[in-house]
Amino acid sequence: MKLKVKNKEQSRTAYLFIGFPLLLFSIFTFFPIVFAFIISFYDWNLLIPDKPFVGLANYFELFQDKVFLIAIKNTVVYTIGVVPIQTLLALVLAFIMNQKLRGRAFFRLAFYVPAITSSVVTSIIFVWIYAKPGLLNYLLSLVGMEGTDWLTNPSTALFAIMVLNIWTTSGYFMISFLAGLQSIPASLYEAAKIDGANQWQQFWKITVPMVRPVTYFVVVLGLIGCFQVFDQIYVMSSGGPVNSTTTMSYFTYNNSFKYFRLGYGAASAIVLAIIIFGATWLQKKYVPSEAY
Amino acid sequence: MSHPRPTKSDRAMKNLKLQKLLFYGLLFVMTAIYLGPFLFSLSISFNAEQDVFSWPIKLLPEEWTLDNYQRVWQDLPFGTWLLNSVTITVIQTICNVFFASLAGFAFARLDFPGKNIIFSLLLASLMIPGIVLLVPKFIILNEFHLINTYGGLILPGLVSVVNIFLMKQFFETIPKDLEEAALIDGCSYFRIFWQIFLPVSKPALAAVAIYTFQGSWNEFMWPVIVTTTRDMFTLPVGMAFLKNEFSVQWPLLMAGTILISLPTIAIFLIFQRYFVQGVASAGLKE
Amino acid sequence: MATVQLNQLKKVYDKDVVAIKGADVTINDKEFVVLVGPSGCGKSTLLRMIAGLEEISGGDLMIDGDRVNDLSPKDRDIAMVFQNYALYPHMTVFENMAFGLKLRKYPKAEIKARVEEAAGFLGLTEYLERRPKEMSGGQRQRVAIGRALVRQPKVFLFDEPLSNLDAKLRVQMRIEIKRLHQQLQATMIYVTHDQIEAMTMGDKIVVLKDGVVQQVDSPMNLFNNPSNKFVAGFIGSPSMNFLNGTIEQGNELKFVAGSVSFGIPNELQLREKLSPFVGKPVTFGFRPEYLYDKSTERQVQLSVDMNITIDVTEPIGSEAFNYFHFAGMEDQTYCFRSSSANQYQSGQKVEVGIDINRLRFFDGETEARIA
Repeated sequence: MKLKVKNKEQSRTAYLFIGFPLLLFSIFTFFPIVFAFIISFYDWNLLIPDKPFVGLANYFELFQDKVFLIAIKNTVVYTIGVVPIQTLLALVLAFIMNQKLRGRAFFRLAFYVPAITSSVVTSIIFVWIYAKPGLLNYLLSLVGMEGTDWLTNPSTALFAIMVLNIWTTSGYFMISFLAGLQSIPASLYEAAKIDGANQWQQFWKITVPMVRPVTYFVVVLGLIGCFQVFDQIYVMSSGGPVNSTTTMSYFTYNNSFKYFRLGYGAASAIVLAIIIFGATWLQKKYVPSEAY
Repeated sequence: MSHPRPTKSDRAMKNLKLQKLLFYGLLFVMTAIYLGPFLFSLSISFNAEQDVFSWPIKLLPEEWTLDNYQRVWQDLPFGTWLLNSVTITVIQTICNVFFASLAGFAFARLDFPGKNIIFSLLLASLMIPGIVLLVPKFIILNEFHLINTYGGLILPGLVSVVNIFLMKQFFETIPKDLEEAALIDGCSYFRIFWQIFLPVSKPALAAVAIYTFQGSWNEFMWPVIVTTTRDMFTLPVGMAFLKNEFSVQWPLLMAGTILISLPTIAIFLIFQRYFVQGVASAGLKE
Repeated sequence: MATVQLNQLKKVYDKDVVAIKGADVTINDKEFVVLVGPSGCGKSTLLRMIAGLEEISGGDLMIDGDRVNDLSPKDRDIAMVFQNYALYPHMTVFENMAFGLKLRKYPKAEIKARVEEAAGFLGLTEYLERRPKEMSGGQRQRVAIGRALVRQPKVFLFDEPLSNLDAKLRVQMRIEIKRLHQQLQATMIYVTHDQIEAMTMGDKIVVLKDGVVQQVDSPMNLFNNPSNKFVAGFIGSPSMNFLNGTIEQGNELKFVAGSVSFGIPNELQLREKLSPFVGKPVTFGFRPEYLYDKSTERQVQLSVDMNITIDVTEPIGSEAFNYFHFAGMEDQTYCFRSSSANQYQSGQKVEVGIDINRLRFFDGETEARIA
């Protein structure tokens, strides 16, 4: 009898405590997820009162939309380029940070600053750096090389933004790897030393395998982030030149909020979501997340 | 008495010195790459010379001035944007800290029907890419006439599931006997939450506050979509707008970027520990 | 041949913290040498210096006559068994044991042969494909030993390998390691804080305190002829009793400590050794096992007698530990061992004797052994 009373009180309190977040969640997450699907089956334009049901028409149109296909390609290239390099760089940075050095806190801050500054801020700074007469080309000229206008050259624009993103987020993931590295017991390295491993061998045979859970986490977050890259595209290139930097999220934005074709945009977002699910599912299935 | 072997030790010593040199050299180069862009931005913001593209590009300006900063305040609605950003960020941060810890407490310590299902749903929602929610959220807000209002900017981000999760994890590490002693003393659950759990959760609360602050202050995509008039822009949106409108006035732009970055950098410097702790623990298994 | 020689080996950390002060130890081929001492005495540091995991600040470390101070661990032909095993968690037992050989580019067939032989030796054959997390503490320790075995090194180093095991397992493993030593006939250096482990396993024991080697000797010599008060008190369980007093010259030479007073016998040159200490502080040491109840046990020819009052008796089956004090000195407790046939009551007064061969005296100031 007493137990039931206690539970009733707990339940009441609990619902009170989670009530507000749950409400927000329902309105701004749960319902929208369902709603997104529904909208994608309509020709829903904000400016036109008539919103007819069109079934899968939006989806068919998507796959015939040249820009959409380019967007898929760009997004995939972007992700495949950024995730591995960003992960490896973060691990290397963490490895360096883990050594005994003076002023460690300063260096850790230095590598982390890009990750905490606004994406708009870093984008603007890099627009300057990437300009034809900008810093990058100036530095290249010092070693006798000539650089192009990185952001207006269709063959280099996406690449330039990829480098910017690697620069930005590697510091963030470095911290994750640093924690992972510090959890590896020193005695493992000592045993390896006695077994005859040099620094390089220790890194590949001990550090990398032991840090696998963090690698998994970093790659998953990296994938999800890369697939949805938007800010830099908006600020630096508006999807151009010639759609060479139009990613899928930018495509969604354009169609939804520039052309106001909300149904069409929703459909493109759902396709992106499916791709993301596919990628993370593949990773879960084929990449081990445990160190041992 | 045998002779000491001369071979490996000397070579080893030389190798070690070379290694150290290479190491510090690499470190220096990396620091330059990561901090360089900001240093140049800082430099340009103080530069009286409007042409930022004349070669050689120097790190230190020849003529210093504060004019650019002045112009940011005077010629642009920077003050309005600042007000918007501050309001939104402060409200979101406070609400997140309060409601996420409250909900986290409920999930960590209370028993109620549907607890597991609800929590699983919340966790599952983290898997949904944000992009999918943009259009429906927009339509919903539109129906409530919240587009281009503070409401539209603040409401969706009032409580984040990640923060609830963080607080729940943290609360689970608090020993049960604290709570049991309080119950015997006759505390209500809210009291237990407010007077016992919260005071010992300062690190977790700080982490939540800092992350929410940083995320809210730097948020871009949603404010871009939700705001339609200049006076409702937040700072990042305003800066992007600036870049498109004043694209050749680099010193002005750079001054703006420095100003926007100051709060997050200041908070990071002061609360460094919590940043590092939070990110670090997120990647490890408990 | 695998001899290890430590000549004035020193270890200094920055800020002048001296961890090891000039250690001189000779370890002969095939010897099982134990480094023992309380926490912080430097035994692990010394072992790690031999392994190459700690830099040597001064002195010479010789292995088989070669000075190896500057050689890296892998070039010293040593293998080490760590306290917490240090097994590579992401590798199988086989891979763990094969790792060192693989790095040294041994042919696959030989690696397989060595690993399988060691596994058989240690009873690990059916576990070769398992990972460390699927095994018990004792099994993991065997894998750690196996990893050292396959290397067939000149010297085996053990860093408190049994500390993480429960008491029963510890005793079992102790015997196994000793058996290993007998079968391999290899030089082994073993670190432990447990003096019982040291006494039962070592051919030679190095007792350390605060970075200084106190005494290097066989177990029995350490027990019977400790060179100072620390060694005397450290070796033996329960530990030696110490009574602080002085030597007085009256009609005869006497040891006096509060209510305890007895004449110094003429035998064993005791009087010669102790007379220079008249008026100086001297500590009298006597082991619990060497006190006997004069009323119940056979009289030993030459003994010194004392009167004690029993406080508490702890029967442990076949024997009992009796805690007592001397009259007038209630706050100092001592111990003597008796057979359980004698049941003592608290407050009981007993006259005990001790064979004069078992008397030990230490300088009250320097703690060095006088007699």
